[in-house]
Amino acid sequence: MTDSEKLIKLKELLLSEDRDFAQNILQKLDSLEDTVNTHEKLSEKVNPIIDKKIDTFVEEIPTKLGPVIADALTKSQDKVVEALFPIIGKMIKKYIQQEIKALSDSINSQVQTTFSIKTWQRKVKAIFTGVSEKEIILSEMNQTSVEQIFVIEKGSGLIISSASKQESIDEDMIAGMLTAIKSFVEDAFKKDQQSLELIQYELFEIHIQNFTSYYFAVVISGGFDASFKNKLENKLFDIASEIKTDAINKEHIAIKLTEFIHE
Amino acid sequence: MNSSKKVVLVGHFGVGKSSLVRRYVQNTFSDSYIVTIGVHILKKEIKIDEMDLTLIIWDIEGKDDIQKVRSSYLLGTSGFIYVVDPTRPQTFERFNEEMDFITTNFPTSKLVSVANKVDLINLEDFKEVLKEKNIQIDYFASAKLGTEVENVFQTIGMKMI
Repeated sequence: MTDSEKLIKLKELLLSEDRDFAQNILQKLDSLEDTVNTHEKLSEKVNPIIDKKIDTFVEEIPTKLGPVIADALTKSQDKVVEALFPIIGKMIKKYIQQEIKALSDSINSQVQTTFSIKTWQRKVKAIFTGVSEKEIILSEMNQTSVEQIFVIEKGSGLIISSASKQESIDEDMIAGMLTAIKSFVEDAFKKDQQSLELIQYELFEIHIQNFTSYYFAVVISGGFDASFKNKLENKLFDIASEIKTDAINKEHIAIKLTEFIHE
Repeated sequence: MNSSKKVVLVGHFGVGKSSLVRRYVQNTFSDSYIVTIGVHILKKEIKIDEMDLTLIIWDIEGKDDIQKVRSSYLLGTSGFIYVVDPTRPQTFERFNEEMDFITTNFPTSKLVSVANKVDLINLEDFKEVLKEKNIQIDYFASAKLGTEVENVFQTIGMKMI
């Protein structure tokens, strides 16, 4: 073996380990490059991590992002209102237009049903009263109706009797709260011999008629005008004349109230 | 036979009137304090000696003097529950005067007194304090733990029928 051959042999012995290590790194680099450059392989590796992050983010939205959004909205309330106002305005306008169109269609269809008895009655009424047929229809559509009636003991707010067209939420609680509201208003204004007579609640009005030891609370829908109020008061006086406070016959009052709301 | 009775809870603010009512009616308790404004009305139907009784419970806002309570809220009351907080002596300093006011002005109404929040105190020490001040409390309750709450309302119910 020549010196040159010996040197080669020595190199092989000394460097083979380093060469293997370098070869191994090269292979790993190739594999990594392949993973990074191949979409499917990269997705396989990265997607689970992203999914987990998204899940965590979604879970943390209410606690982390909620207060930040609320704070940002509070600080820039005017800007938010300015941005939303045109959109909400358009929505309301569109809704009102649709409702008016529906109302107009309904009136027109009633006017055009020329041959019904009711239409002829309405036409005659329009001629004699001078009120246009459309206005009469409009008033018919806004018919006043008694929805619920309560007889409530003054002071305690305990219900004596009640009647309702539909099933309502707890009547004992309604009677109690009405009495509390009534007491509050009457105390707050401190006017002797005066009492709360009317509560308006969106499309409903609650008419209150006081007697010595109890009061009536009547829930009314539709147009509540002076003429209806007058009729209602008279009717309540009639019912009141049958209520004897020393021996209240609750069943009898309940029958009277039920008859009344279905009149 | 079914009968309805109005029960009013009175006492200083923060003594736990609303907590007692919530524990009794809804069986819930919250550590956060929400002040009662005006009045909150709840209802519970119970049975006493085969008789159905509906308690209409008026949880009114706390006042340091019962005479400052809106008088119309107290009209027609069949039963009063007077609540004190043992951790705040000012809530029972005028206890006997307040009791006298109720019994004088509402002679037909029934009355039960309650010390709430007993989970926060040494009960024996508190009873000593009451003895020194000549105060008679009917129930030592905890709305938080539910201790004696049922008995308070059951007793007022029994007294009213």
